[in-house]
Amino acid sequence: MLLRFVTRRLAVAIIQLIGISLFVFFMIRILPADPVARLVGLNATKEAYDLAAHNLGLDQPWGQQLLNYLGIYSNRPGDGVLQGDLGDSWVTSAPILEELVRFLPITLEFITYALLIAFLIAVPMAMAAATKPGKTADRVTFVWGLFAGAQPEFWWGLMFVFFFFFQFHEWGFPSAPAPLGRLNPMVSEPHTITGFILIDSLLAGNFRAFLDGAHHLMLPVFTLVFVVSGAIIKMLRQNMIRVLQSDYILYARSAGLPSRQVGFYAMRAAMAPAMTLVGIFYGFLLGGAVPIELIYSLGGIGEYSIRSILAFDYPAIQGTVLIIAMVSLLIYLVIDILHAAIDPRVTF
Amino acid sequence: MTITPGPQVAATADASGVVVIPKRRRIDIWRKYKEEKLFAFGCTMVAIMLLLALCEILHLELGLPTRITPYDPNFATGNVSVPPPPLADWPGLLVDTIFNGAKPPHWFGTDNSGLDVFSRTIAAPRTDMTIALVAALVSMLLGTFVGLICGFYRNIATEVVMRISDLLQSFPVFITAMVLVALSGRQVWNIVLALAIVYAPIFVRLTRAEVMSQSVRGYVESARAVGNPEWKVAFRHVLPNSLIPSLIQVSSTIGFAILLTSGLSFVGAGVRPPTPEWGLMISLGAPQIILGEWWQSIFPGVAISLTVFSFAAVGHGLEEDYG
Repeated sequence: MLLRFVTRRLAVAIIQLIGISLFVFFMIRILPADPVARLVGLNATKEAYDLAAHNLGLDQPWGQQLLNYLGIYSNRPGDGVLQGDLGDSWVTSAPILEELVRFLPITLEFITYALLIAFLIAVPMAMAAATKPGKTADRVTFVWGLFAGAQPEFWWGLMFVFFFFFQFHEWGFPSAPAPLGRLNPMVSEPHTITGFILIDSLLAGNFRAFLDGAHHLMLPVFTLVFVVSGAIIKMLRQNMIRVLQSDYILYARSAGLPSRQVGFYAMRAAMAPAMTLVGIFYGFLLGGAVPIELIYSLGGIGEYSIRSILAFDYPAIQGTVLIIAMVSLLIYLVIDILHAAIDPRVTF
Repeated sequence: MTITPGPQVAATADASGVVVIPKRRRIDIWRKYKEEKLFAFGCTMVAIMLLLALCEILHLELGLPTRITPYDPNFATGNVSVPPPPLADWPGLLVDTIFNGAKPPHWFGTDNSGLDVFSRTIAAPRTDMTIALVAALVSMLLGTFVGLICGFYRNIATEVVMRISDLLQSFPVFITAMVLVALSGRQVWNIVLALAIVYAPIFVRLTRAEVMSQSVRGYVESARAVGNPEWKVAFRHVLPNSLIPSLIQVSSTIGFAILLTSGLSFVGAGVRPPTPEWGLMISLGAPQIILGEWWQSIFPGVAISLTVFSFAAVGHGLEEDYG
């Protein structure tokens, strides 16, 4: 059953990915940007311009460009997407897939920690709020949910830098590190295995890098938790209140189960939809954490995407969107499987 | 102020022939304003921001003397990186400026090119509010129209439109907006258009769902029975009754649009300097923050925070009564 569900979902995902790729491919070409002029400069001669356009393959009709990108009936050297090659960046000339594999884990790492922590904070808070509706805990979580869901996360990031780095430093407290990357330049970087700096340094037994990495991840993760937790708490609270009014909870209560156990049952049912929300946040933050990455100079996929967008680097834009969409779809799938594991009412 | 949404129908029969008397759905916004603090706060803040935007726009477009910023928000004063005066001096300075005609101080300091932060913060609604309002309205109009057509006429063509809308919704929002704005030139109207495209699918989905549930109601059948053409049934009868979910969504969409506008400027894919825009101001002040110059980016951030929260509060209030 599970296998059939997964294959069906993967089939749909592939269709979606094809749709997204085509859409992005044509969208960036319809918009009135001139990547050739961006590369050769505005004062370039006609010949230089044409040569650059030819080298990039932009002198071909769109149909042929698409075939070249896909790698079928290509009239250019190199493979296409169908052979697993996303092409070379027009700015750095490096293979895009390699660059993405280097940058993606950086973003994945801090988003994962942030969402995990936010979820762990949200569960007890939502439980406290929902079991006593209208009381202080409920009101606080309600206002918090409304407030944090509507905040400019990049501004809070800056404020945290000011407070925990600059101000703590002034006061002589142990402060957060300067927002300049993932590790102190004095600390040797662990050999890349997963790309997650905390996991890599543990695998390498490099505790100094582990501590320093955690120290540098502290503020970006805190910023994200701060912003994301509100929405998760809000949703968990709503679900909890709804579930607590349902018949099977009434039954569990009347059967004389201790209230803690009833609360646990209710939480299990309330958690499943909130996990879907976490999945959606994952997809959203993969591309949407750009400002936070910029503030802390983390150099993840968000920074890569804004750099390639501002440089009109078409292959890099296409590759980034494709990879982000792919990872998000994969995460949605995992979340749905987890959903079924938690909630016995869901079957494939 | 009383709003009665859509034409009221006395009594109708639903699909199974059971007579349903619709609840008179009206909200008394004035009563709500007086009774609910959060809603009142939201409405007040939104009104203030609209007023600030209006003052600037009237001054810029019609040359009316409505400019209330003490300094020109686009013109450097020559005083670079001046910190704001200490809070204890504010009352004295206020009296001096208002009654003694002294030169107004830089209430929020100046940034490192000498632009007055206070003037720019209260001039910025002209950019942020305009972009967000117009974008939200355009996406609502577009989304409602497409949603109505797709919900009312169910065939292969509208099914394809729905799939495209779904596809658009599955895109990473921030990246799509960055691509649309950066590649079409960083002009204000391009940002509006980009935001409208990004947010339209939400309205398509909301309207379509409501249209589908309304189309099986009895009043639609009655409208058909008395000989109305199909388009008239759709636009005169179904549309007004399907607007409520979209109208509620608009408020929070405006809030999100402000967040996205300022986020885009922050990463360098939004309006160009020196346009007064909150996100751009934060981004200009960002390199100074680790040097301790907090005033350049704290005030525009507070403005964004308050404005977006206010729109969320208004949206939440409306949702409670309507949704």
